[in-house]
Amino acid sequence: MPTVSILMPQLGESIAEATVVRIGIAPGETVQTDQEVIEVETSKATMGVTTLCRGTVKEIYAKEGETYSVGTLLGLLEVTEEEIARTGVDTVEAAADRRTADAASPQQQEKNLHFALDDDSYEEAPAVVPSVKGLPVPTGTMGAHYISPRMRARMDDMGLREADISAIVGTGAGGRVTVEDLEKFLNYIDTWPSSNASPMRMAVADAMRRSWTRPLATVGLPVKLDRVLEHRRNQDPKPGLTLYVLRAFALALVEEPATAGFLIGQKVVHPRAFDIGVAVQVDDGVVVPVLRKVDQKSLSDLTKDYAEMVERGRRRRLSEDDLRGGIATVTNFGTFGLTSGTPIPLPNETLILGLGAGVKKPVWSNQVDAFIPVTEAELVVTFDHRVVDGGGAGVLLSRVAQLLQSPEKL
Amino acid sequence: MSVTYVDAIREAQEKLLREDPRVFLYGQDISKFGGAFKATKGLAEEFPGRVLDSPISEDAMIGMAVGAAIEGMRPIIEMQFADFSSIAFNQIVNQAATHFYRTGVPVPLTVRLPSGGTPGSGPFHSQSMEALYAHYPGLIVVTPATVSDAYHMLLDAVALDDPVVYCEHKFLYRWLKAPRINGDQLPIGKARITRPGKHATVVAYSAMVHEAVRAADRLKEQGGWEIEVVDLRSVKPLDIDTVLASVARTGRLLALGEAFPWGGVTAEVVSRVCADGFHLLDAPPRRLNSRDTPVPYHPKLWAAHRPTPETICIALRELLSF
Repeated sequence: MPTVSILMPQLGESIAEATVVRIGIAPGETVQTDQEVIEVETSKATMGVTTLCRGTVKEIYAKEGETYSVGTLLGLLEVTEEEIARTGVDTVEAAADRRTADAASPQQQEKNLHFALDDDSYEEAPAVVPSVKGLPVPTGTMGAHYISPRMRARMDDMGLREADISAIVGTGAGGRVTVEDLEKFLNYIDTWPSSNASPMRMAVADAMRRSWTRPLATVGLPVKLDRVLEHRRNQDPKPGLTLYVLRAFALALVEEPATAGFLIGQKVVHPRAFDIGVAVQVDDGVVVPVLRKVDQKSLSDLTKDYAEMVERGRRRRLSEDDLRGGIATVTNFGTFGLTSGTPIPLPNETLILGLGAGVKKPVWSNQVDAFIPVTEAELVVTFDHRVVDGGGAGVLLSRVAQLLQSPEKL
Repeated sequence: MSVTYVDAIREAQEKLLREDPRVFLYGQDISKFGGAFKATKGLAEEFPGRVLDSPISEDAMIGMAVGAAIEGMRPIIEMQFADFSSIAFNQIVNQAATHFYRTGVPVPLTVRLPSGGTPGSGPFHSQSMEALYAHYPGLIVVTPATVSDAYHMLLDAVALDDPVVYCEHKFLYRWLKAPRINGDQLPIGKARITRPGKHATVVAYSAMVHEAVRAADRLKEQGGWEIEVVDLRSVKPLDIDTVLASVARTGRLLALGEAFPWGGVTAEVVSRVCADGFHLLDAPPRRLNSRDTPVPYHPKLWAAHRPTPETICIALRELLSF
C-alpha cells in the first residue's frame, strides 16, 4: 500500500522549527483527512500538524519534547490507492521514483558528479531559510538604533550612553546619529548652564538606566490602612508603616517565590533568601539598604534592625554588605505626600513595591448603614514583564493587601 | 618639456649607472633594442658592457643577479612583463628573499616588474604581482604612482641592501607626465595623502591612485563629498599609521587595487584597519579590485574587469550611505 508523509509544516514566516508537545496517534490507528495528529509548539503559538488524507498510521518518528525543523518527516501513513487517486496527494513511493528518474537523466548525472565526495548529500531537502520581509532573521539593527564603532568609541570617551543622546535627531544614513550630530549637540548644550553630577546622582542614574533595559510594567490597587495604623498605635517602639508593608510583602513572596525570580537567558533564577530592600531618600539620591530574611523574623524583631538601618542610610554610613543582594524593594513614596507612582526596580531585582500616601475617605458600610471614614492608600508593584505577568503581580499585590488587614499576625 | 613615468625610470637608471659602478642592468632585449617599453633606451651606448641582454629565461636572469648581488654588485633586472616573473618565482622568494636570513650576506638586487593592465594586453601581459611578493618575508615591494616616485623610489630601491620588487605600471609609462621630477621625495615605507578629504578614505597604489582621484573629483562635483586618497607607494612595508590616521579623520575606508580580488594588498589593508582601528569606523570597510577572472583581451571587457572611476564612485556611494 502506498505511504504518505506526515511532515513538520511551515508554521509561519519566521518559524524554522517547532517542538512536539503531544502525539495523538499510535501506529495502526485510522486517521481522517485534516485530522490534527501531532501538537507542536513554536515560540509564538501551539498548533496542530494535520494529515493530508485518510489512512492508517504506519510509523511515528517524532518524539514528544523533541524539536524538529520545518520539513522534517514526523511519521508515515498507509493510504489506499483509491484515496490517493481521490485526493491527489504525493506519496513517498512516487517521490522516490521521480528522484531515480532524475538521477538517471544525463543532466542530473553530470550534476551529481559535483557531489561525488559528499555521498548522497544532494538528496537532502533544501535548507529552510526563515525570513521576515525577505531578510534573514534575526534582522539587523540598522537605522536609528545603530551606533557605529566610531560613534561608540567617541561616546565611551565622553562617558555618554544611549540615553544621553536620545535628544539628538540623527542626520546619518537611516536616521543614524553621527559623530558630527553629537558634536553639534554638545556644542549647543555647552551654551546652557550646567553643573557636575554628584557620585550619588551618577550611581542612581546608572542603576535606573540598566534597569530600564527591561520591559517594566506597574499595577496597583487600593489598600485599607486603618488596622495597621491602629495596631501601630499600641506598639512600642512603633514600627514604621513601611515595615508592615515590607513584612507582608515577604510573606506574600514566600507563597509566590517565582514572582521574584530573575530571568537570565533561558533560566529563571529563584530567590535564595527573602532579603528585601527599603528605598531611603538621601541628599541627591536614593540608597537601598537590605533587611535580611524578612520572612523569618517577626515585626517586632525587625523594628529595631529597620530603624537602625534607615538611620545609617540617612547618614550615608551603609556598608557594601548592607546594600548587597536583595530580591525586591519596598518604597514608601507616600512619605512625600504622593498618592501614586510607578517606581523602577533595581537592575538586579524583578520587583519593587510602592506605597502611596494614606487618604481618609468616606466608605459606605452595609453593617452600620452609614458612611464611615476609611484610610486608604494605593499599593503598586512594578515588575519585569519578562518574568511576571499582570495576573501574577495582581495575586501578589492582593495577598499583600490582605495580610495588611491582620497586622497582629505580621 | 615634460617628463613621463617611463622617462623617470630611464633617468633614474642612467643616474645609477653613472654614479655607482656596482650597478648594471640585465634583461631581455634591453641593450641595443632599449627594452620592450624603451625604459633603457640609449643606456647601452652610454654605458658599454653594463646594460646586458639576457637569454629568454627569467629563472636564469634572477639566479645570475642573486649571485652578482652576493658578490657585491647592484643588479637591476628588467622583466619584460611582470607576468613572466612567475618563472623566476623560486629564485626571488626562496633564494633572494631568504639569503640574508640564512647567511647574513645581503642580496641588494632590484627586480623591475612592468605591471598592470593596458587595453588589449590580455591575460599574460596585464597582471599585478605585488601581493605575491609582499607575502614573503625578506622582500621590499614598491608600487610608485607618480613620475617623481618612479624616479626616487628606483634610486632608493637600488640603495637598499634588501632585494626590492619594483612594480612599475605600464599604463602610466607614457600616459603620466609631470613638468619635472620633484625633489620632495618620501622614503620607502611612507604613504602619501594624495588628496585630502573628510568623508571617506580611499587607499590605493600604483595606477589606481589616479582612478581614485578621478572618482573623488566626480563625487566632489556631484555631491560635495570630500574623499581622501592615500597612495600607499610601497605595499611592503605597509604604512598602516598613515592609513589609520586618515580613517580616523573620515571614519570610512575603501581599499582599492587593480590586482585580483582574492586576498592581496586590499585585504591586508582592510584586515589591519579592522584589527587596529575598529573604533574609528562608521561603516564596514570595503574593497574594490579587478574581477576574479583572467584579465580579458578585448578593451571593453578589460575596462569592465578593472576598477574604473564609475565603479569606484558606486563603491564610495555605498560606503557613504551606510
